[in-house]
Amino acid sequence: MQFKTFDIVPHGTKFDFVGKRHIAVVLSLVVNLAVIVWSLPAVNGLNFGVDFAGGTEMEVKFAKPVDPGAIRQGVEELGFKDASVQTYGPEAEHTFLIRVGRIALMSDADVKRVTDAVAARFPVDTWNFNAEIGDKIDFQFKTAPTPEALRAAVEEAGVRVRDVREEAGLTAGTRSFAVITQGIQDKVERDLAARFGDAAPEVRRVEYVGPAVGRELRNQGFKAILGAMALIVAYVGLRFDFRFSPGVIIAIVHDAIVTLGYFAFSGREFNLTSIAVILTVVGYSVNDTVVVYDRIRENQGKYKGKGLAEIVNLSVNEVLGRTFLTSFATALSLVGLLVYGVGTIFDFSFAMLIGIVSGTYSTWFIAAPMTIWLEERAARKKARGGTPAAAAAGK
Amino acid sequence: MESSWYWRVALVVAVALLSVYQLVPSWFYFKLPPDQRNTEAYDQSVPRWAPDAKKHLNLGLDLQGGIHLAMGVDVDRAVKAKVARRADEIADFLKSKEVAFTESRPVDGGRRVEVKSASADAVRSAVLDAYDREMFAPGGAAEGAVLFAFKDQILREFQAKAVEQAEKTIRNRVDKWGVTEPDIKRKANSQIQIQLPGFKDPQKAKELLGRTAQLEFKIADDENPALDALRATVPQCPGDRAGPALPLPEGGCWSVESVELPSGGSRVTTILAANTRGEVEKLIQEKANPLLDPQKNVVGIGEHVAATAEGAFQARYYRTYLLRAKTELTGDYIADAFVSADNSDPLRQGRPVVAFRMTAEGGRLMDKLTTENMRRRMATVLDDKVETAPYIQGRISTNGQITLGSGQTQQRQYEEANDIALVLKAGALPAPVTISEERTVGATLGPELVKKGTVAALIGLAAVLAFMVLYYRASGLIADVALVLNGVLVLAIMSMVGSTLTLPGIAGFVLTLGMAVDANVLINERIREEMRAGRTVKLAVQQGYDRVFWTIFDSHVTTLVAGFVLAWYGSGPVRGFAVTLIIGLFASMFTSIVVTRAIMEYFTRRDTARLSV
Repeated sequence: MQFKTFDIVPHGTKFDFVGKRHIAVVLSLVVNLAVIVWSLPAVNGLNFGVDFAGGTEMEVKFAKPVDPGAIRQGVEELGFKDASVQTYGPEAEHTFLIRVGRIALMSDADVKRVTDAVAARFPVDTWNFNAEIGDKIDFQFKTAPTPEALRAAVEEAGVRVRDVREEAGLTAGTRSFAVITQGIQDKVERDLAARFGDAAPEVRRVEYVGPAVGRELRNQGFKAILGAMALIVAYVGLRFDFRFSPGVIIAIVHDAIVTLGYFAFSGREFNLTSIAVILTVVGYSVNDTVVVYDRIRENQGKYKGKGLAEIVNLSVNEVLGRTFLTSFATALSLVGLLVYGVGTIFDFSFAMLIGIVSGTYSTWFIAAPMTIWLEERAARKKARGGTPAAAAAGK
Repeated sequence: MESSWYWRVALVVAVALLSVYQLVPSWFYFKLPPDQRNTEAYDQSVPRWAPDAKKHLNLGLDLQGGIHLAMGVDVDRAVKAKVARRADEIADFLKSKEVAFTESRPVDGGRRVEVKSASADAVRSAVLDAYDREMFAPGGAAEGAVLFAFKDQILREFQAKAVEQAEKTIRNRVDKWGVTEPDIKRKANSQIQIQLPGFKDPQKAKELLGRTAQLEFKIADDENPALDALRATVPQCPGDRAGPALPLPEGGCWSVESVELPSGGSRVTTILAANTRGEVEKLIQEKANPLLDPQKNVVGIGEHVAATAEGAFQARYYRTYLLRAKTELTGDYIADAFVSADNSDPLRQGRPVVAFRMTAEGGRLMDKLTTENMRRRMATVLDDKVETAPYIQGRISTNGQITLGSGQTQQRQYEEANDIALVLKAGALPAPVTISEERTVGATLGPELVKKGTVAALIGLAAVLAFMVLYYRASGLIADVALVLNGVLVLAIMSMVGSTLTLPGIAGFVLTLGMAVDANVLINERIREEMRAGRTVKLAVQQGYDRVFWTIFDSHVTTLVAGFVLAWYGSGPVRGFAVTLIIGLFASMFTSIVVTRAIMEYFTRRDTARLSV
């Protein structure tokens, strides 16, 4: 019987993963801390997309080259000082991403300025601002102005208006208007058409997310990541051994943070798809860890006499080929997306790639060696607290 | 070969054939140019032997263009409006009971009602007597005043109703535009999500959806014979006096309705009916309006349900009502509406009816209106749609009720009553909606993304296929067969369950192909290991699959957990990704464990078999 085979990772390797664990831990700690610190709003922060920051994002395609500086200038002249204009996709497609109005909810000062301005002009009966909605003020009048006059009054107070809409009055004989702030899309669209008419601007995609929704999506997103992590740790604990849990937790947190690092350091937009990547990385990267842990457990039964460090090293080396190859195969499937994907999909693939690499690294250098540290600690604890026999049994 | 092997092979072949069969509608769907896909051209292009034409692969809004809106219902303001109305009601009520008070007004940011009175105790007991189901009197009132607040449960109920009303209004309006396959659903936090695939005018959508619902009462002009002339110019509907029989002919038709007249007699009036609102509108525009004096009459459109010719199914159709042009009353005068049990008549005891209460001013107007139009039909028109047109049976002033037609089950009557109550309140209690999220994708972007996404997926697939063959030779080829089947299976399941393919979904599809290969890598590596340990090929394959089964299972479950959490959290494109990922993982488990094993076992069935792995 014979078979032909070649191995990318040679069979029977004897890398000393356990011995290198101190270097690996320091390296990982430095990288993770750097990502966390860099992601803090006070230091640099993540570049939240409209999904999370609220605001309006427009993808505009021109028929011929246009200077992004000129677009930004145009948008800023409309009064949107926080505009950002980015090239989107290949240079030759003349496509830009215009993002405006990443403002939080209206502050109390804004509301006061607006209501004072309106009250100065019209006989306001009552007004109402709901902080939970954040971008809408209701006015109630005994004798009402026209919607246009109301809009003008609010805009003069320095707040952009998206829409003024009549509502049914609260009490008989009154008229109510809802003033909805932060409208920009139509203005920008009109302005672009006027300014770059010969380059035929085409608005291909518009995304508007209200400030309250953005905040909620962000909170829920982080909760979803934590929830998924907890469920995965619980599953691995139930299926294998809760002794694995600390190692699994550290490995998946590590991979999630490293994946986040892609968005933090590249300054690419962090949005709903980014949450999807991190969740997928968390679910996927734990696979390698499980393969190695499974082997450690198998070998613990097989080689009763050997020390744990030796068993861990042996186990990681035995499955080295497959942990590498599985990650390699998955990474390979992303090649097309990396070459052909634009915007969000490129970011998705690249972050996923980083997550996959991080997952493999953390399995070899962090999760597996972690078991030794944990078992040694457990043994010491037992030795201090229990009888020597119990300590030996708990090996 | 063992007998179980034959069973497994039969299963694999059946799944493969069924998957390809399921993809037939999708094949015809994507063969058409994008603007014809959601039309009848598609339905006709699908051959008869194919599965249900509706079960094709859908493109998400990000790939086919369209509008996604999330409208937030301002329940807070709706509560304030309710409190303000209740303050007015309490004032009316105290006046009628002759309890002395000076003022009844909303306080505390519009959350409570404060009544100022010298005899505070009398006010408290009188009001609580009448409203104790809904209100209570919390402490903390100033000297010479009483505070009233709604019970928490009532407020919650009320907020839920406000969202329900808004959803109904939005559904009605979207219905009017004739968008294909609109998707409207209620989400958490008083939000309503609206998806309009292929809809091109976001400005129009926002304008129409944002408006407050307008409720009007109009009197039906049943004595007017003007529309009878239509019988000469429009084809007649199938059916009899009980109503038209479906399906109606294309373009609409006329039918008859027997109505009672205030004089005591009855008359057979002419109505127009059609399958879509657009067709009815066209008929009215072209045929009916020239016969009418716009100062005196308008034609209202209502929606009805009738059995189709097959009998078992009910379908919607649209029909006209001839109404007087004047709006007699608007919903602004309605204070409240709810479902109640009929107590007026021993015969009808306990049947559901819609009870409503008018404001004081509305009560006076209603009283005049109903006295003058006794035994005529009064149409309630919400957002230009005739919701119901019951006969006025008696004088209605402040408190009225609408009796429903008999001949329906109690359950159906209750549902109808609830619908009408919602309609009445929609005008009465404004729960304004604001756009909290809006995503518009133009029509040109989608096809380009589909093209790029397909190319990207094919490149990824080719790379993985090539790698497996180069690295594992024959067993790599087996894995490749399984991988292609995996791809087909995922698309087939997606078509069957009607999930949508989004841009991130394409990425998810590609990723699951990579993960499916993962499983085969694990298996092949294990087989190599077993062979190194000196086992025969046959035994190595068996052991390889047995030992690796749980590893593959576990690794799929952990990713599935992430997928399910994401499906729960995400919406739109991201949810599309999660669903694709989940389906892909299930398919991958099947192909890597069942499919490749069956093939591998065939090639290694003899003990002397050779295998390049």
